[in-house]
Amino acid sequence: MFKTEEMEINLGPQHPSTHGVLRVKLHLDGETVTRCVPMIGYLHRGVEKICEDKTFFQGQVWTDRTDYVAAISNNLGWVEGVEKLFGITTPRRAHYIRTMLTELNRITSHLLWLGTHALDIGAMTVFLYAFREREEVLSIFEAFCGARLTTTAFRIGGLREDIPPGFEKQVRAFQARFLDCIEEYETLLTENRIWKKRTIGVAPLNAEDAIALGVTGPVLRAAGSSYDIRKAFPYAAYAEMDFDVPTQTAGDTYARYLVRLAEMRQSHRIVNQCLDGLPEGPVMAKLPKVLKSEVNEVYHAIEAPKGELGYYFIGEKGSQSPYRMHIRAPSFINLQALPKMTEGRLLADVIAAIGTLDVVLGEVDR
Amino acid sequence: MASSLLRTLIPFDIYGGMKLTGKYFGKVLLQSNRGTKRTHIVVEYPETPVTLMPRYRGRLQMIKDEQGEIKCVCCLACEKICPTQVITIEKGKKEGRKTPYPTRYDFEMERCIFCEFCVESCGFDSIILNHQFELAAYNREDFSHGTEGVFQNMYDLTPVGHYSVASEE
Amino acid sequence: MMPTLTQYLVISLLQIVVVLGFVMTLVPLLTFAERKVIAYVQVRLGATRVAGGLWGAQQGRLHQSRTVTGGLNGLMWFLGRVPVFSILRGLPMFIADALKLLTKEDIVPASADKAVFVLSPALALVAAFTVFAAISFAPGALFVFPKAVPFLGGLPFNGFLTDLNVGLLFILGIASVGVYGIVLGAWASNSKYPLLGGLRSAAQIVSYEVPLTLSLLVPVVLTGSLNFNEMSTRMATDVPANGMVAIGRTLIMFVGFFVYTTCGFAETNRTPFDLAEAETELVAGFHTEYTGMKFSFFFLAEYSSMITVSALASAFFLGGHHLLPFGIQGFVHLSGWWGGPHIIFFLFKIFTLLFVFLWVRATLPRYRYDQLMNVGWKFLIPYTLIMFVIAALLRYAA
Ligand code: SF4
Ligand code: SF4
Repeated sequence: MFKTEEMEINLGPQHPSTHGVLRVKLHLDGETVTRCVPMIGYLHRGVEKICEDKTFFQGQVWTDRTDYVAAISNNLGWVEGVEKLFGITTPRRAHYIRTMLTELNRITSHLLWLGTHALDIGAMTVFLYAFREREEVLSIFEAFCGARLTTTAFRIGGLREDIPPGFEKQVRAFQARFLDCIEEYETLLTENRIWKKRTIGVAPLNAEDAIALGVTGPVLRAAGSSYDIRKAFPYAAYAEMDFDVPTQTAGDTYARYLVRLAEMRQSHRIVNQCLDGLPEGPVMAKLPKVLKSEVNEVYHAIEAPKGELGYYFIGEKGSQSPYRMHIRAPSFINLQALPKMTEGRLLADVIAAIGTLDVVLGEVDR
Repeated sequence: MASSLLRTLIPFDIYGGMKLTGKYFGKVLLQSNRGTKRTHIVVEYPETPVTLMPRYRGRLQMIKDEQGEIKCVCCLACEKICPTQVITIEKGKKEGRKTPYPTRYDFEMERCIFCEFCVESCGFDSIILNHQFELAAYNREDFSHGTEGVFQNMYDLTPVGHYSVASEE
Repeated sequence: MMPTLTQYLVISLLQIVVVLGFVMTLVPLLTFAERKVIAYVQVRLGATRVAGGLWGAQQGRLHQSRTVTGGLNGLMWFLGRVPVFSILRGLPMFIADALKLLTKEDIVPASADKAVFVLSPALALVAAFTVFAAISFAPGALFVFPKAVPFLGGLPFNGFLTDLNVGLLFILGIASVGVYGIVLGAWASNSKYPLLGGLRSAAQIVSYEVPLTLSLLVPVVLTGSLNFNEMSTRMATDVPANGMVAIGRTLIMFVGFFVYTTCGFAETNRTPFDLAEAETELVAGFHTEYTGMKFSFFFLAEYSSMITVSALASAFFLGGHHLLPFGIQGFVHLSGWWGGPHIIFFLFKIFTLLFVFLWVRATLPRYRYDQLMNVGWKFLIPYTLIMFVIAALLRYAA
């Protein structure tokens, strides 16, 4: 008689919508996914090992290249971690500028996510609209530190330079039109029946599973938890900022979409507050000529656009480089949820799930 | 119930999206591509020059003082700080110059990550990252010539137009 | 004057050349238009230049180099200053695209079923082109050959190839053969992504054929004709005596038009129903393994079926060769040139619909496979059935 077999299919590593070099091994029964195994490592560069070899000062450039979409967040995690390790106090003005740039970076990261996620689901125009705004924020980064993507924006102890002249005007110009731009994305997606059908109830992950899997960030908050490190363990200038942590309860793709859009609005709010309340003063702390660490362990976590980004350092006596450095990469840990979210569902949902997890392969593989 | 049925039958949601995209289509269509008021976001490079921010980090370049002398005194700070170790300096002497002079200053651009640490560490302001971003070349060697090379000459801008498609103006 | 058989054959041949030439140039232009429309919607420009050869590129001033393409680029650079006409920048690109497809290496995968692999694009293309035999672009003669023309002098050159009285049936029948091209091509590729794409598109086309046909039956029932020319004339001239019935007719046609267009999008595998070639899921769907000319056959087939769908919509819902759609021409009497049937009206409607195709593609996300089926079977088919019943009642009332 007839024999039916499951089809094994490789989604990636060269596939238009695995966002880099992710390979997902899928077992398909018709179009239903019976098994889903993400396979990683195609972009492994050994960042953690390299950093053992570099000074704390130099190591920052590698953080640019883990989650290259949110380089400034990574920079912040690194420099704050190192500052914690050496007990350096950073001037308040530097904190404010860091907070502002990190929030702008959250906006760019979410915009990139929105564009690619919508593109995966077939709405091609949102992509370009999102990139239009992202481009503007990247110019802001360029004005601040000279690079658009791999920013190396901060320095241990503060900032390399204060904000350039005309910077505030540039940011305010962006701030003035950004909320309207979010409206535009919403016009194209939020109420759209096809978008709703493709996202509501798709790739669900409840809070319990999310916590069990270590998932953080918008994916967790869309499931109902309000864990946000900016509120839970404030760093930089977040303690002085007034913002909400948007949450949803459904835990599906649509909820994550709403959470991220709301987060962009909150980031917009924070940036405004930073601009308004920007304190005067120096931007760089007095540092000793060479940093020398006693044996000391530090874990510093920040709320990166993708979730909890942690830097773990073990210093070494008399050495200028970490003895061991580990990155708790949110993309890597969030990716674990992929099988849970997709098994038993359709092939098209895998694409939506990869998109909604917002993984950056540079960070997954490191 | 009735309203939801109506909303299912008559696609207002789709109408909203179509209106937005239609609006943009009309806007771009009715403006000229190269006019002063533009909705589109395209910069027609290379015909239109690209505007860079003052702090833009381009290629490493050595700068000279008023006498046309390069300022570097071979303190090796830049060599030490560079995270990717792309700078190699050979200390030497030059006649009529008191301070040390780099007989070799190799900069392998293909590995440079444009982090500006070298510039930051230089206490003599003798290097900068210039505003050059058209850095493609056909051969690997073309990247690694330091003081001698023609294409990536450390003292001057790369001869633009040799590799790039940008106009020289 | 009745033409002799040879004269008839010669004229038919000429007509075939004209119609096929029209379609074959329209398709590359359509791909160009697609690039431009989507680009404009997305606030970018799309193609604005053609490469000026190595020399031109090296000089860095494409619009100033003294070559043919340099001259073209110069013209296009100038056009960039002209509103509206700016959209014509990059127009030579459509020739370049066609040339590229023609000269691309033609790869047949080693494990493919060679014969079927080669035949299926042809099948898809033949099916897509044959339907133009039954489409009437103008109801009567486009022009009459002047007496001076040898052999053909005094004979009419018609705006249609054949005046089939079962035109619609013919089109639906032939068009549905096209799906075999897709399915066989996908199967013969012996690869997984094309297989999934082929299965999807088979299921999709088969299920959407039902509501498509049902929605087309609305005007058919209302006018009682399957013939293109008659349909258009009756819509414009036969006005139901009862005013309510006439208004009802217009309304049902209006709704029917939207349902038909929706099904048409699905039939042609266009967004939001482009599951067969959902590039973000299936790489390129059924034609993943196809290259060069064979790929472009599928491409041609897809785009020419877009033209077919638009032509059907304009003929059956939008008043065909007459100006006003949905049978409105019945109440509003247009006099003189505007009142008559013209090929311009018909082409205008086709182009507008084609623009809508592109516009929708730029705006909407895509359905999931099972949702597509649901939309088809649970929503569109009942909807069209109800419409059909209403149309029949209207016909009865009239
Ligand atoms: S910019 Fe960075 S990588 Fe390049 S030479 Fe300077 S320190 Fe090295
Ligand atoms: S830091 Fe400056 S002065 Fe010292 S070697 Fe480098 S370029 Fe020369």
